[in-house]
Amino acid sequence: MGRVTRRQLTDLPGTLGLPVALALASILAALAFGLPVLDRALPAERPVTPGEPYRVGAGVTVVPPPGATLDVTGTRPGETRGTALFRTGGVSYTIDVEPFTGNLTEAAVRLRQRITGISGHQITGTQLAVSTAGGLAGVQGGYTAGDRDGRYAVFVAQGLIIEVMVSGDDADLSTVPTTIGTLRYESHR
Amino acid sequence: MSEAVRPAAPRSVPFLRQPAFWIVVTLLAVGAVRISQIAALFFRAYPIATVTAIVMFGLLAVPFWLFVSELDFLEREPAGLRVLAFAWGGLVATSVSIPGSTALDNLIAKLGSPDLAAEWGAALAGPTVEEIAKTLGVVAIVLIARAQVNSVLDGIVYGALVGLGFQIVEDVVFAIGAVQQAGLGDRVQPVITTFLVRGFLAGIWSHTLFGALAGAGIGYLVVRRERGRRHRIAVAALALLGAWASHSLWNSPILRDSFGDSVPGVLAVLLVKGLPPLLLVLYLVRRAHDREAAYYVGILETVRDPELITEGELRVLGSGSRRAAARRLAAVSAGREAKVAVRLLQRAQAALAVELSRDSTAVEAGAGLVRERRAALAALGYPEAVEGARSWKHTASTVGTAVVALAVLWVALSALGTS
Repeated sequence: MGRVTRRQLTDLPGTLGLPVALALASILAALAFGLPVLDRALPAERPVTPGEPYRVGAGVTVVPPPGATLDVTGTRPGETRGTALFRTGGVSYTIDVEPFTGNLTEAAVRLRQRITGISGHQITGTQLAVSTAGGLAGVQGGYTAGDRDGRYAVFVAQGLIIEVMVSGDDADLSTVPTTIGTLRYESHR
Repeated sequence: MSEAVRPAAPRSVPFLRQPAFWIVVTLLAVGAVRISQIAALFFRAYPIATVTAIVMFGLLAVPFWLFVSELDFLEREPAGLRVLAFAWGGLVATSVSIPGSTALDNLIAKLGSPDLAAEWGAALAGPTVEEIAKTLGVVAIVLIARAQVNSVLDGIVYGALVGLGFQIVEDVVFAIGAVQQAGLGDRVQPVITTFLVRGFLAGIWSHTLFGALAGAGIGYLVVRRERGRRHRIAVAALALLGAWASHSLWNSPILRDSFGDSVPGVLAVLLVKGLPPLLLVLYLVRRAHDREAAYYVGILETVRDPELITEGELRVLGSGSRRAAARRLAAVSAGREAKVAVRLLQRAQAALAVELSRDSTAVEAGAGLVRERRAALAALGYPEAVEGARSWKHTASTVGTAVVALAVLWVALSALGTS
């Protein structure tokens, strides 16, 4: 066994103490706060071709609302599932597609529970039948979340659940098409 | 001096007088507040599911904790530092990774495309943020208790415990996310499914493994001071890169559909993606353990006192499997008490070796405990803690355990709906 020399005792990284600890905290701050700041600094919205179907995922496409842009932070297309987020003015349109083994009633219950599971969200009014431009039957309803209102619709087709949520404040919702039926779904599975 | 172990130097500055200690404590406190806020949200929305998830994944942590804690039998890490490592992973690394990974995933979508983020976001964003945040936990331990990181194996143990803490908290978050996604209210079924998938199928080759790999690099950086700084920093960077690559491979779409969705197919993907890093870490653990063991056994050889350690016990003490074989032989020969007594003797001998590594003249400091434990063993009619011949029963038990583990894995995959 040998002796621990002075050089060894002052070697990286233990005895640099405070500077290394501050560097460590800085790296953590860069990860926790710097990356989100950078994320917010870059625009998320991309133009979409008006009238052209957009691929949500799992073979489901949707024609975006007129004048809408695509928010890439809420859009993740995939082979078996997918999600798309469109924005127009202060209104957001979210479409989620994922595998599902239940029927339309179960799908509607699931979506309503997910909405009411979010703090401050409440279902309003009654649930109505709705169909897509392609004739796929579903149900739609409304919800409120403080100063924001919303509409939801849900469809079940070919082992998939397709959920649509449209939300915005009263003023914005009144200036854009809020009817779920303006959205169009085409399953290519 | 041996390159395997850097004996602990006396700590000159108490914890409370180290600025680095207070920075680490502050980071832990901030992480604890953040994770408590998330937990409070979970409890309010899904109390039963949250309690179930915490209990299930908490129990899952126990065998991992015991296994990792036992890796360094000869020079066990202090319990306080093991808890600190676990807490860093569960509180600090997770708090940093939740916003950081999301932001990086968004940046991939913005700078690349939503398709790129959907396909590769999980493989690029998560590993990048999480592996850095976890590895800094081992650096934090070096900062406040460098004397306790004196072999590569120490870095592996601390890294694995940081990873374990991260894994458990992340699993609970994913479980409650699954409950929310299911939209069926406060049910435990999504928690159980998450437990099977993330805790059971992916548990072996998850964050504990990645953390161990990165921790080995920090251990090397701290201990192998006979090498140049550039070399050590390069090795530490390579270990971090290895952890990142293992994590990225696991999250990547590579081989996702290559073997179909049958049980053998999913098992094949699990093995192909998980086995290489597992074997690499096992190799590193074995190598680091053997080097450390050779160092400490070499020290005990100089004692030349059969009251403290015999020739047979020297051969046993350096190997985990031989130590276990000695305990099994004691159990068979003199009962369970003898097995416990052998374990206590081995611990005392290991502690003596560590004492001698710090001060070669301090034989009597640890010798008293060894003599006391040898007397206890002798009182059971079992004077020496040596191994016996390998028995067919032990071999059969090992094979049987492996078969049962594979069968349970098969059942779990079948229960999850794999065809």
